[in-house]
Amino acid sequence: MAGCALLDMTIRESDLPGVGKKFEIDLDDGEMVVVIHNTGKREVFRRPDPSADSEKVFEFSDDLARTIGSIIEGAYFQPVEPDTQETTLPGGILLEWYEIHPGSPLIGETIESADIGNRTGLAVVAIQRDDKVVDSPSANTTLREGDTVIGVGTPENCAAFEEILTG
Amino acid sequence: MADVLFEIGIMFAAIAGVGALADRLGQSVIPFYIISGMLLGQFVLGRLSLPMLGTVYVSESEFIAVGAELGIVFLLFFLGLEFNLGRLLARRRQIGTAGTIDLANFGVGLVLGWFVFGALIPAVLLAGIVYISSSAVITKSLLDLGWIANDEAEPLLGTLVYEDLFIAIYLAVTSALVLGGDDVGAAVADVGIAIGFILVLLAAVQFGTPLFDRLVATDNPEFIALRSIAAVVLVAGTALALGVSEAVAAFFVGMAFAPTDYTHDIETLLEPVRDTFAAVFFFWIGLVTDPLLFGGVAALIALAVLVTTPTKLVTGFFAGRAFDLDTKRSTRVALGMTTRGEFSLIIATVAVTGAEAGTFDPALAQTINAFAVGYVLVMAILGTTLMQYSGPFESVAVSWVDRSADDDPVVGD
Repeated sequence: MAGCALLDMTIRESDLPGVGKKFEIDLDDGEMVVVIHNTGKREVFRRPDPSADSEKVFEFSDDLARTIGSIIEGAYFQPVEPDTQETTLPGGILLEWYEIHPGSPLIGETIESADIGNRTGLAVVAIQRDDKVVDSPSANTTLREGDTVIGVGTPENCAAFEEILTG
Repeated sequence: MADVLFEIGIMFAAIAGVGALADRLGQSVIPFYIISGMLLGQFVLGRLSLPMLGTVYVSESEFIAVGAELGIVFLLFFLGLEFNLGRLLARRRQIGTAGTIDLANFGVGLVLGWFVFGALIPAVLLAGIVYISSSAVITKSLLDLGWIANDEAEPLLGTLVYEDLFIAIYLAVTSALVLGGDDVGAAVADVGIAIGFILVLLAAVQFGTPLFDRLVATDNPEFIALRSIAAVVLVAGTALALGVSEAVAAFFVGMAFAPTDYTHDIETLLEPVRDTFAAVFFFWIGLVTDPLLFGGVAALIALAVLVTTPTKLVTGFFAGRAFDLDTKRSTRVALGMTTRGEFSLIIATVAVTGAEAGTFDPALAQTINAFAVGYVLVMAILGTTLMQYSGPFESVAVSWVDRSADDDPVVGD
């Protein structure tokens, strides 16, 4: 059994041969037990005190657990940072930003040559490059590796842009 | 050819059907697979004369026999894959104590076997059959009951790891003894070869990991699956051709793959393969077991159940104590450990293989096999049921043990 203290939390980790790994997390009112199966399945249990039986709270597949995990982590919404609260505009329009990673097919393309407007419907409102911001970029602004593209669009527009971003 | 394919279809349909039934009843699938094989085989269906069809039954075709062999190979391969020496050493005090206490069951089996058969090799086989608990059934019950998140999971799984290591060495030695025949000199030489073989495999595990890693270093899941299957089946096949245990060889190949970065991929890809062939193995065990032989071994099965259930309960309880668990959780460890399954049957096949090779008395092999099957049918169902209805046993144990502990402060904690 390995133990690790993260901030002021105590998390105990132990192997379950043939099954996977178990993490026990102390809460204010009892303990939470997370079992990660070798198959990727996650099971979350709760027990009111250390001597009680664990009661299963929920079970997730690998994909679902990762998605829920990142929601809990605050990847989509972090209430403590006020400026990110504005990402959803009235009417469900999103203000989103995307980093152009190495290998993206958009590198070297201009907004026009990549036909971003017609293919995705996303309106590119600004590009953050190093410490500078190119606002209202023109159609022949060339996209570079490491740029952060800031766009406005519906969730469908954003999804379409994500697709051409990774190729 | 058409006949065989049809029979295989019947076999898989039966396995799939009874598997669903077992799941609905909350029981282990193993006894159900065995019984389906028994019912569809020559000893039950084959003895009936059906209207219109005459005598039809699923024969022990070469496919089923080889499939069963692959079942053994994959079961042991996964055991090796999951076996982590570092993990065992990290908790060596607790697992070592729990596992060593558990060895008492082997001793009891040896005495029982000697008492019944009056000869060493059958006694050693019986000892192995009653000693080893079922990793497959116990792990499944732990998951089904949610005990996996509780403290009792660790002594249960830890003791099973100890048993796995013991059984790997045991299988190597007993296979050599059984396949070696009666001659003491030859037997000593065979055991020497078996131990030499283990040492070679250990060296392969120690130094071969980079090689195994490179073998499966590809992003293509198809190739990872094919290459790992090729490695384990080829090494196991070579072992059997050399007259040493294929199961042990498979265990060590698993161990060699364990430290690679691809363990998880291999497990995910091959788990359905293992489950398919393991089911064939249990079906085959049923197929080759004549239920009429149960009459002759019923007394022995009853005796073994009556003796080895309590011994496992006691050793299991102390295994829980070795992990500093309270009375209630130690009782659960005790109840869980009573479950016997796949490995008891694998040990019985050592006798059957010996009989086929002409080095072991066929009648005795039939007796041992029938005993193992009957014993596993009882113990798998008994163990699963005890775990499901553990509540009353926990209460009894708590009031009994903790009260006597109050009377005698030396035992108290």
